[in-house]
Amino acid sequence: MKTRRLLRTVACVGLAAAMMTAMTGTAAFADEEIVVGGIFNITGDQSSLDEPTQRGFDLAIEEINAAGGVNGKMLKAVYDDGKTDTAVCASNAKKQINNDGAVVIAGFSDSDFAYAAGAVAQEAGVPFVSTGATTPDIPATVGDCAFLCAFGDDVCAEAGADYAFQELGAKTAYVLTDNSMSYTTNLSDYFINHFEELGGEIVLQDYFSSGDYDDAAQIARYQALGEEAGILFMATGPDDASTVIEQFRSAGVTGPMISGDGWDTDLWGVAGDLANENCFVCTHFSADDESEAVQGFLSAYEEKYGTAPENAFAALGYDTAYLIAKAIENCGDDVTPAAIRDALENMKDFPGITGTISYSAETHVPDKTVVVCQAEDGMLKFRKNI
Amino acid sequence: MKKNRITDSNLIRLVIFVIVPLAVLCSCAAKPKSYFTGIVITIGIYIVLAASLNLINGFSGMFSMGHAAFMAIGAYISAFFTLAPQVKENMCPGLPDWLISLQIPLLPGLIIGGAAASLIALIVGFPVVRTKGHYLSVVTLALIVVVRAVIDNQGDITHGSRGLTGLPARSTILTVYIAVVVTMFVLYRVTHSDYGRGLIAMRDDPVAAQTLGINLVRKKISCFAISAFFAGIGGGLWGHYLTTISASNFYFSKSFDIVEMSIIGGMFSLSGAIPGAMFYTIIPEFLAPLESGFSLGSLKLPTMFGLSNIIMAVLLILLIIFRGQGIMGNSEIILDTWFSKDTYLAPFRKEEYQRLAALIRRRSS
Repeated sequence: MKTRRLLRTVACVGLAAAMMTAMTGTAAFADEEIVVGGIFNITGDQSSLDEPTQRGFDLAIEEINAAGGVNGKMLKAVYDDGKTDTAVCASNAKKQINNDGAVVIAGFSDSDFAYAAGAVAQEAGVPFVSTGATTPDIPATVGDCAFLCAFGDDVCAEAGADYAFQELGAKTAYVLTDNSMSYTTNLSDYFINHFEELGGEIVLQDYFSSGDYDDAAQIARYQALGEEAGILFMATGPDDASTVIEQFRSAGVTGPMISGDGWDTDLWGVAGDLANENCFVCTHFSADDESEAVQGFLSAYEEKYGTAPENAFAALGYDTAYLIAKAIENCGDDVTPAAIRDALENMKDFPGITGTISYSAETHVPDKTVVVCQAEDGMLKFRKNI
Repeated sequence: MKKNRITDSNLIRLVIFVIVPLAVLCSCAAKPKSYFTGIVITIGIYIVLAASLNLINGFSGMFSMGHAAFMAIGAYISAFFTLAPQVKENMCPGLPDWLISLQIPLLPGLIIGGAAASLIALIVGFPVVRTKGHYLSVVTLALIVVVRAVIDNQGDITHGSRGLTGLPARSTILTVYIAVVVTMFVLYRVTHSDYGRGLIAMRDDPVAAQTLGINLVRKKISCFAISAFFAGIGGGLWGHYLTTISASNFYFSKSFDIVEMSIIGGMFSLSGAIPGAMFYTIIPEFLAPLESGFSLGSLKLPTMFGLSNIIMAVLLILLIIFRGQGIMGNSEIILDTWFSKDTYLAPFRKEEYQRLAALIRRRSS
């Protein structure tokens, strides 16, 4: 009985503590603060992309507030963990809009979650900026409140095709697609279209499913072609990048490989030396950029978190926060979701560290430059802006 | 020795299990877009799913982990019927023409989705129920993989891994809780029929049940199909709540979520689905402010993402150690209350008040 009584006491204390936190969590904010919502999948499969995004986002909010806020008002960022679950993401969006009073919501590196949370924001008329999702039809599907901070997959894949065809001189391409993700399926489709437009030939298109971990069948089919393709376009997510590289390289495939921003992750280094040969990534941002803004971001990030930005998604988070701040600034005193939405839509030539962002009523997907990097000593080295 | 509990009174039961929940639902219905309403809708959908899982896992003695597969089938099939024709033309050109031009309300859509899930369960049921125990669990897990592979690879019909978007948002408090009550009623009647007694007999001792003339294979397959039907309905509600579905939403983790809910609530009780779903949905939401960092007076805590997952895990371990049978155990008190005439007549009966008074007196003495 004693243990039971003890347990009961512990449970009561725990409940009381939780209630207090819940109350403090929803306490009213001062009028001077503008609430900006951030939903990121800090736990679960998406965490290797979303955690750096959240860090970059938070860093920018801190900098903005340190510089006196926006039009004299401080930004108050509320963060929630989407747990890589669409239902949790939708629920978080509802909470931030209704309970926290967020006037704009940012988040996500994957379209699934952007659709779910975006639909909630759209219904409430609150602007939603996806930090890293790259499916170009998100704004068209979700509605006029949705914006992308990153370039669309079409732009990314086309840049990859251009680079392969023009710079690497590839006339033939092998395309491997992870068909369990929308991101990779889109990427491959756009790559194939553009590569063929340029006059290239797709010698083989093959598929795998994320988490297969064994690409022997795909490698055998590729090697059965008898000759190396000019370029291997590997549309994989971050988790599979190193396995795919390692297995293809170990099997003696030496041709140049190229992929989209899904390869821009620290997990990638697992392939080690094998990745150093001829691997290219089309991504948002390169740390090699000498400009003051980029170097400032890099040193500030390192100072705050003790590590260099893990990948380009940190930079996207950082840009999204500044983009939102700029939109709020353009609103003047009328800080309402509708006004911010209009301000975002009218945004022209916003100078981010991942490129210049302009929106219009026709498109909420920015036409940004794609950075092509090559792996070198476990680091990504800048090659070309496209 | 029968303990005299305060919940033995029909009046008290009416208040706790009917009036209070109804009041909550009404207040939610008044504010359909609020955060709280969203949570209550999620709970409702999970109740349908967990209760249908309890029918297999708790009553028939099979242990299925494949609920996500049936959810996916229900969600996709019902979406095919409720999506607007122009959306379908865009995303699913591989569908037959009559289906593309057809758009029906949610309710028949759900039933068709559930029926489709049920049909698949019947087909796969034959090989699946030949396995027992852990093997059955593994086979049902494989079903999730198969369903996902089919959805991902049939791009013309399912839009592949890009998923379907733009589903009409028709899973409101009303529709979801009608589904909850109907599901519960059907399952409650099923488990209290001779068919259900047969299921329980089969669970407790298959050989003895067989000697009593129970056809085990037929029982197992039909039970699998009934459960799949409601899982399909749950999946359909899920899709029409979030308005977007993709195969990755219905993978292992979703199945495990439902299994956990069913175990927390008590898988030998249909009523267990209710506290299970509530616990599993509310606790993480409750702990969320802890994660995002908060200040208590002068004390400022940093953000600690993942904390709620850890606390949930610890709570689960404690629950398994101290109450392995789940919150409800074998009790069907909630459903007994819902579906009993006595509950609703209680306020009009004098002896109910006398009984309540007697109970209170005995308790205080």
